[in-house]
Amino acid sequence: MSDIEDMLSVPEPKVDTDRALARLRARVEGERITPVTRVAAPRRRPAVSGWLKGLSAAATVALVATVLTMSGLAETILTIFEPKQIVAVPITNSDLNGASSFDAYGTLTWTEQPKPYDVPDVRTAARESGMTVLIPGNLPAGVGAARYGVMPKTTATFTFSAEKARQAAAAQKRTPPPMPANMDGSKLFITGGPAVVAFYDDGTTPTGATGASGASPFSGMPRLIVAQGKPPVVQSDGVTVDQLQSYLLQQPGISPQLAAQIRAIKDPSTTLPVPIPVDMATSKKVTVQGVEGIFVGDSTGLGSAVIWQKDGIVYGVAGTLTEQQVLAVANSLH
Amino acid sequence: MEAAERLRLGSVPVPGLPPAFEDLFRREYPRVVSIAHRVVADADEAEDVAQDVFVSFYRKHPAEAHYAAPWLYAAAAHTALNVLRSRERRAKRDAVEALRRDAQAPDPAQAAETAETASEVRMALARLPERSAALLALRYSGLSYEEIAAALGLRQSSIGTLLRRAEDAFRKEVTK
Repeated sequence: MSDIEDMLSVPEPKVDTDRALARLRARVEGERITPVTRVAAPRRRPAVSGWLKGLSAAATVALVATVLTMSGLAETILTIFEPKQIVAVPITNSDLNGASSFDAYGTLTWTEQPKPYDVPDVRTAARESGMTVLIPGNLPAGVGAARYGVMPKTTATFTFSAEKARQAAAAQKRTPPPMPANMDGSKLFITGGPAVVAFYDDGTTPTGATGASGASPFSGMPRLIVAQGKPPVVQSDGVTVDQLQSYLLQQPGISPQLAAQIRAIKDPSTTLPVPIPVDMATSKKVTVQGVEGIFVGDSTGLGSAVIWQKDGIVYGVAGTLTEQQVLAVANSLH
Repeated sequence: MEAAERLRLGSVPVPGLPPAFEDLFRREYPRVVSIAHRVVADADEAEDVAQDVFVSFYRKHPAEAHYAAPWLYAAAAHTALNVLRSRERRAKRDAVEALRRDAQAPDPAQAAETAETASEVRMALARLPERSAALLALRYSGLSYEEIAAALGLRQSSIGTLLRRAEDAFRKEVTK
């Protein structure tokens, strides 16, 4: 027996698989956990627009969390949320499943739909987005050439409806907190973007760098993604944001833990919350480009991402790379 | 609406677990527990880790997925290492107590000493870089180089070198 085998030796655990299976079954039924039904087909060369759609879905999640965090602003006709820094907000699956979508409180109308499109090069991306597009000074070995996509500025209006909230709650046999009278019919004006995303394919192995395709939330994605964009801005025309936060955090699907985390954000009017699904990923604070950012690692250890905000722009670098590699790419952006 | 359609649309809860998932569970549960147990050295905690790993897989991946086993092994190692790290933050006395319970040796003094050593070894494992710790956990749970490569997304040809480095780093950490 080697010294390490000796050190790590443990008595063989006595496992009762039937009892364990019954325990799992009870948990799945008790928490109403639903399985996935099919394997997402890994795409060898995903279209840029497909990825941008995914990112815009993620942006929608961020927007929901953003609205949840607004508070403490003056009771004026026009209320502005403009993030200057970011913070990780751990979200559990039950938060995601339990929280109602925007549709349950009113109607979201896109005034400028998210319409991402491919562009041939970085200069076009800069021209079309109106931003200075940063590029990595060095790339890890095996990372191929970049393709660029642009998401133009997107705007939407959300109109609260007490009647819709009542119907949505009734359909779920839930009793919602009463919507404040002045909230009914009031509007939020939401602006996001523009954004530029660069996709770097794996230069060596076409099925992905890790060899474990599909095993990680990062699998099937390009080897490296570098994204930058203007953060979302939210304006409100009537309701006070204290009322809004109080109302949304009282909803039946919002866990006390999530509500407490959101209430704990020190300066919510200027903080962009980044939802971190706790059963899929872990996060920690890091310094990147001289400012504080968030490092996110997926729970299988195969993928990494870093997100930060600097000079009014939110940046993200993600890929099937190590923490060191992702941070090196992030710090080399110029 | 037909019952089948209701099921498909998710408007009624589906009773039980899919047979393919139950097969996967029966096939892999002992090994997933074994990997977690190697890391946390506590049988109850190892079973808790295994439950979380299977629930996590159930939520996101179909039981028939070709990567099911390597995914479960990697998740068992990483989740157990996370448990170890949170344990490190707790009082060392608690960890020794858990290990003493698990050792179940007839001689209490011997058991306490064994438990303390095992606790120090686990703390050293928790301080290693994630990949090194996972490599050791999987290798010393009996996985082949091929299985480790699939679980951690590494080339099989590099496992030997990475393992030796991880072992050296572990020895240094233990003797610190």
